[in-house]
Parts: sequence; structure tokens; C-alpha cells
Amino acid sequence: MMTTKIKVAMVAAGLAASLMIGGAGPSLADEVTLRMAVPDWPPTRIMKKFFDEQYKPKSGNAVKLEVDFIPWPDFYTRVNASLTSGERKYNFIVSDSQWLGAFVEGGYFRKVNDLLEADPEFKKTFMDIHPSLLNAYSTYPYKSQNYYGFPQFPDVLVTYARKDVICDETEQKNFLAKYKKKLPCTGEEIDAMTWDDFRNVGEFFRRRKGEMLAGKPAEDDFYGIAVQAGKGYDFSSMQVNGLIWQMGGDIWDETKVPKGQAQGVVNSPAAVKALEKYLSLLEYMPPVAKTGTMDIFKTDELFREGKVAMNVNWIGLGEASLDPKISRVSDKLVFGMMPGTTGPDGKIVRWSNIGGQPFVLTTWTTDAQIKEAVEFVKWWLSSGIQHQFAAAGGQSGIKSVYSDPKYVAYRPWNRTWAPSLDWQKDVWHVPQFFELLTQQQDQFDRAITGKQNAKTTLDNIAKFQQNLLSEAGLIK
Amino acid sequence: MLVLPPVSVPSLRTSPTLLEISADNWRLASLVGVVVSALAVAALPADVAFWIVGALVALVAVAFVVNAYRRRYYGGLLVAPAIAVLFAMNIFPLLWSLGLSFFAYQSNRQSIWFVGLNNYIKVLTNDIAAADNWHALINTGMFVVLTVSAQMIVGFMLAMLFAKQFPLRKYLLILVLTPMMLSVVASGVFFTYYYDPTFGILSYAINSIAGGQFILMDSKAGAVAGIVFADAWMWSPFVMLLVLAGLVSVPKYLYEAAAIDRVSAWRRFWTITFPYIRGLLMLALLFRTIEAFKLADLVILLTKGGNDTMTISYHLIRIANEQNKTSEGAAISYIMLFMVIVLTNLYLYLANRRTRES
Repeated sequence: MMTTKIKVAMVAAGLAASLMIGGAGPSLADEVTLRMAVPDWPPTRIMKKFFDEQYKPKSGNAVKLEVDFIPWPDFYTRVNASLTSGERKYNFIVSDSQWLGAFVEGGYFRKVNDLLEADPEFKKTFMDIHPSLLNAYSTYPYKSQNYYGFPQFPDVLVTYARKDVICDETEQKNFLAKYKKKLPCTGEEIDAMTWDDFRNVGEFFRRRKGEMLAGKPAEDDFYGIAVQAGKGYDFSSMQVNGLIWQMGGDIWDETKVPKGQAQGVVNSPAAVKALEKYLSLLEYMPPVAKTGTMDIFKTDELFREGKVAMNVNWIGLGEASLDPKISRVSDKLVFGMMPGTTGPDGKIVRWSNIGGQPFVLTTWTTDAQIKEAVEFVKWWLSSGIQHQFAAAGGQSGIKSVYSDPKYVAYRPWNRTWAPSLDWQKDVWHVPQFFELLTQQQDQFDRAITGKQNAKTTLDNIAKFQQNLLSEAGLIK
Repeated sequence: MLVLPPVSVPSLRTSPTLLEISADNWRLASLVGVVVSALAVAALPADVAFWIVGALVALVAVAFVVNAYRRRYYGGLLVAPAIAVLFAMNIFPLLWSLGLSFFAYQSNRQSIWFVGLNNYIKVLTNDIAAADNWHALINTGMFVVLTVSAQMIVGFMLAMLFAKQFPLRKYLLILVLTPMMLSVVASGVFFTYYYDPTFGILSYAINSIAGGQFILMDSKAGAVAGIVFADAWMWSPFVMLLVLAGLVSVPKYLYEAAAIDRVSAWRRFWTITFPYIRGLLMLALLFRTIEAFKLADLVILLTKGGNDTMTISYHLIRIANEQNKTSEGAAISYIMLFMVIVLTNLYLYLANRRTRES
């Protein structure tokens, strides 16, 4: 009898306990894992660090961010293989903006309009992104109202310069005597530079080993300028496009589909002149420029090793130049905007090809993951985190953040950030992007290595694009 | 007269008729497999059809195995696992990609449709696509001739050197073999810096002697020379190893007899040494030619195909992997495969003819 009573009491206690834990009490937190594929470099490392140190999900769930850091040279190949193989490994992917069309059409990247509409706070933050960045990083078709991505690390081209060389009194005097123009020394003076001034810097600072450079014999051959001129990925297109836009030319404009043509536009006289100008700079660059392998990493290396006076490169590579452990010029730096072209009204035209990357959601991400992903993106784009990111060497595309007076003090190049944004355009977002890019890179390489002139190069590109895009129904 | 007692042989089962349902009826299994697979491919979504076809292949395989077991084809059973692996890892992907080459399919799109020989016609005759393919193929031919020649000559000479005994031979041999053991990426990065006109030792050394600015990779000839040198540096030791194996197998008494007969060094080499290494030389030639035909890694690392050094393999990587034009890539692959098979058979024919003649 006694035994039965004890059993009943135990069952009652067990029931009460289970009610306390599972029913009447608070529910247990779910574990949600977000998997992300990112290029391995400081902006993504910083994001992961901030997440691990600071992110507290509002839902109370245990949210884990699993990040695959993939080296830049393999990044596209790995991401492309992951997506097209159907392994469905990642919820988030840091994507170059140009990949949007190819992966949206393939059914891999998720449209986020519904998520924005469902959350006014989220939409408000999203719409505070600079329009150039929003169009480049999020829209497909380009400049449409279909949104896909959020800025992870926005980027633009800027001019890196060595003030110990360009501000030297003797060099200043000699430059003025030769070109009847002041050698740019401050950030503002660099901002005012045109490509002709940039070319003059290149010509002026070409010194042989042992010749005088800023009051001392040069330790090695020295060169005035460097810009990307490599065959790999987009390492000449990104520079040439800017010059073409600045000089009144255009690339094939996907916002004019189906009427926009490639023939006659891509190889217009203005575009040919722009490419000729670009090619004319090569002779003032380090000799590797003639091999077609001078990509952004090589120009960065040459600049950090003290071989050139000025280098046009992405902000994303700037952090290394400030690090005295890997930069011989870390304490000699001044930054300005990328050179421009003087327009008919006498003002500088500064069109440039945008850099940086958005991150996008994949279509197989579950509702639970999407809920947490949206919270994560809102946290990432929040003012506090964006300020911290900028202070750690990143950039922010949120107007309220980069307009803050504090922003320019975070890094020496930040002064150029806001004025550059209005001048950013993007290259094609269409699914044929990779074919367009590789053929264009091949043709630019032939011009860079001296195998054909600018006219032939652009004629070949225009013919190819006209044919490809007509077959795809994008030109009629 | 010896009379052998009768041996009782267990009776073997007779083969089932075509429509008899039996675990060993491989004919029926094959028929069902083909018909149901065709219907599944035609009527069902690709991802469902894939698994149905896979299950039917397994069914046919089981029928073959049961048939072999019941009829005591033990030899067949023993090689069955190897054939299964070969089928799963080689033959099936090969047939699958052959099939893809007759469709319009891009791996980053969800659509696929039959286009017959259009992909082959495009890669061979289209005025834009074919020009690039032929150009890359001609470059590949050039690299095959140059890299294989360089490797054969250097490898052969190294083998002749190391066939002799000399001080520190053992250590030098290890040193010479090292490049072959390095990863191609490591070697590529090494040569990138070696040839770099600003940081590289090659330009530095030549500039110090000749003055001026030496840039190896600024012309097609220089870029090709750079790639050929790097490839020969990596793979000449492989040729050396094979030739060395032939050289050490030559019986000493033949040389002793030749010495007694005062045979000249050239005749000694041609009549004694060469017959022993000829087969291995042909083997080295075959292996290295096939590999050279696939040359892409060093080109990617050193020039990215720039300066007119694009090879067909790198071109194929770009078409199939970067641009996701899977079917077009498959068509190029099969044209390459055809060429390699023709080339290989030509080598084997020549090698066998010489063997028969000798």
C-alpha cells in the first residue's frame, strides 16, 4: 500500500517538474547555425570577430555563425562549385556584385524584398545605404527594385601616395619647373589630380638605381605610378571602365535592355581614346606591367615595398600598407581620390568602377535561419557596429554612419570615401557576366602586352558582346 | 589400363528464360533496367530519375553477381568489385559527360534540352568560339613538343650522369628528385618570383651583367620559355628515374665484352644501352605527352593564359568551371580525349613495331 503511495507521489512530482520545465516555464532556446562563405581577408575576419564577441540574438536562440574563410584567388571557384553542385552548404555568401545575375537566375540567391517589407525598421536601415552601393550590391536586374544583397564591405578605388617622395622640396621644385604645375602633396591636391597629372608623376619619378630620389640615391629602380593591369579575374576591366566613363564613353549598358547595343558603344571613339590613355600609363609603371600580371596584389606589394610613388588601388588593401611589419612605407602615406578627367565645364569627372562585396541569402535557408539571418544583418548594419567596423579598417555604406564627422578620422583614406560614392557605377549584373569579363580581360591583356592597339581591342570586345548578348536576347 | 572412377560433378543450373522471374535472370533485369530507365528519364524530374536509374543499375549488377555465383563464374565474381569501382568512378561519369555534350546545359541554370551535335559544331566551327579553341589547341601542341622534348633531353642526360658512381651521388640524386615532389602551386609561386622583373633573381642577375631592364615574361617567346623551363624543372626527374631504371638493368658483362672488342662509345650506347632503355623512354614519352596535353596549372600560375599562352585545358577550365558552360566544356573534353587516344595509340603502334623489328 505504502509502495503504491510512493509511486503516485513520484509520478505527480515528475509531472509537475515536466510542466515546470516544458510547459508552464519559459521554452528552451533553439540552436540556429548560419553558414557563411567569405573571402579570407580583414573585413570578413573583423565581422566574425565582432559576431563572436558582441552578437546577442534578440530571439534568445543560440545563434552560431560558421564561417568558411576562402582565399581570394579560389573564392569564386569554391563558391561556384558549392552552389552548382547542389550541396546547399551555405546560408550566406559574400558575393561580388557582378555575380548576382548568374546566381539569381540559377535559383541560388534569395530575393529579400519580402523580408524588407515585413520589417519597417530593417527597410529603413536598408534604404539608408548610399544609392550607388544599393544598386551595385543588391539589385538584379541592375538598378531595379529587386533586392538581393546587403553590403559586407563596400569599397572604392583611391590613390595611395608616398609623401616622403612627393612632398620633398627638391622634387616639388623640379616638377614645377618641368610641368608648370605643382606636384600634388596633400590629400586635397591628390584629389584634384587628373590622369594627365598622374601620367606626369609617372614620367617624373622614373629613376634608375643610384639616381637621386627625394634627396637620397635610390636604393633600387623606382617608378612613379602603378595601376592594376593584370589578366586575372577583373584586374584591368575595373580600371579601364572608370576611364571610359570619365572620358564620355560607355560599356554595354544593361539598364537599356533590349535596345542598348554593344557595337558602336563599347568601341566608340571616346572609349578608344580612354583605353589609349590607360595604355599610355603602362610605360611609367614597374616593368611587371608589361607582362600582363600586374594585378591589385602586385601593385599593393610594389607600393608597400617602396618601389612606386603613387598607386591606385582598392581601400580594401589599405590596411596592409599601414602595418609597419609588412609595409616599408607605413609612416609615409597620404591618400586621395582616384584621378579624374576634366569635363567640358572645367570640373573633374570621377566615374569609377565600384568595388567591395555584398552578402546574400541563399534560397534553401530555412524560415528559422532567415529569422536569425535578418536579425544578424540588422545588427551588422546598425550604426554602432558599422562605426566599430570602420574604426577597425572597414567601410560603411550607411549614410548616417559615413556622414558622421568621426568617420573621416578612423582611417587616412576615409576622407575620400563619401565624395567618391556619388561617382560609382557597376559593371554588368547579367548572367553572361563571366563570359563578358573573361573575353574582355583576354582582349585587354593583348593590348597591355603590346599585341594589338586600343581600337582593335575594343572592336573585338564589341563584336563578341554584340554576338553573345544578341544570342541571349538581351540585345535586339 | 587405368580406369578412373567416375567423378561426380555438381550439376550447373540452366539459364532462366527471358521472362522467368529469378534472381539470376540478368537478361530480364537488363531489359527492365533499360526500359524503366528510359521511361523515368523521359517522364520524371531529373533528381528523381537519377535515383531510379541508380537503383536499376544496382538491380542489374545484383542479377549479374547472382548469375555468376550460381554458375560458378568465380573469376568474374573476383573482379566484380574492381569493375564496380571503375564503373562508378570512371565509366559512369565519362558516359554522363558524353551525354551532356549533346545537350544545352549550364551548371548554374536549371534548364536542359537536347541539341544533338550542336556543341561539337560550335566548338569546332563557330567563328568566335572555335577561333579561341583552335588557338588554344595550337598553343597546347607547341607546349607538348617543347616541354616533352626538354624533359626527355634533360631527364636522359641526368640519368646518364647518375648511372655512374661519383662522390655525393646519393645526396645529389635526392636534390634532383625534389622538384618532382613539390606541389605545382609551390613551384608556380616560386617561379613567379624567380621571373619577376622587380623582385626576381633572374632579371636581377641579367641586369647586373648586361645592364638595361630584362623582362622575361613580356613577350610570347619569353612567357613560353618561362613555362617550359618550369615544367622541365619539375618533370625531368621523372624521365630520369625511368631511364635510370633501364640503365641499371643492363648486364655488366655486355659492356665488358664490348670493351674487349674495343667497341666505340657511340656503338656501345646504341647497340647495348639503348635497347634496354628504349621501352622505358617510350613509356616516359607517353606519360609526359599525355600530361603535357593537360597543361594548365603552371599556365594559370605564371601567366593566367596571358601573352598568348592559353592552353586548351585552361581554356576548358574557364568554359566549364568559370563560365559554367558544362555541355560546351564536355564537347571540348571529348575532342581532347579523342586526340589523346589517337596520340597514345600512335605511340603504342610505333613502340610495338620497333619491338617486333628488333
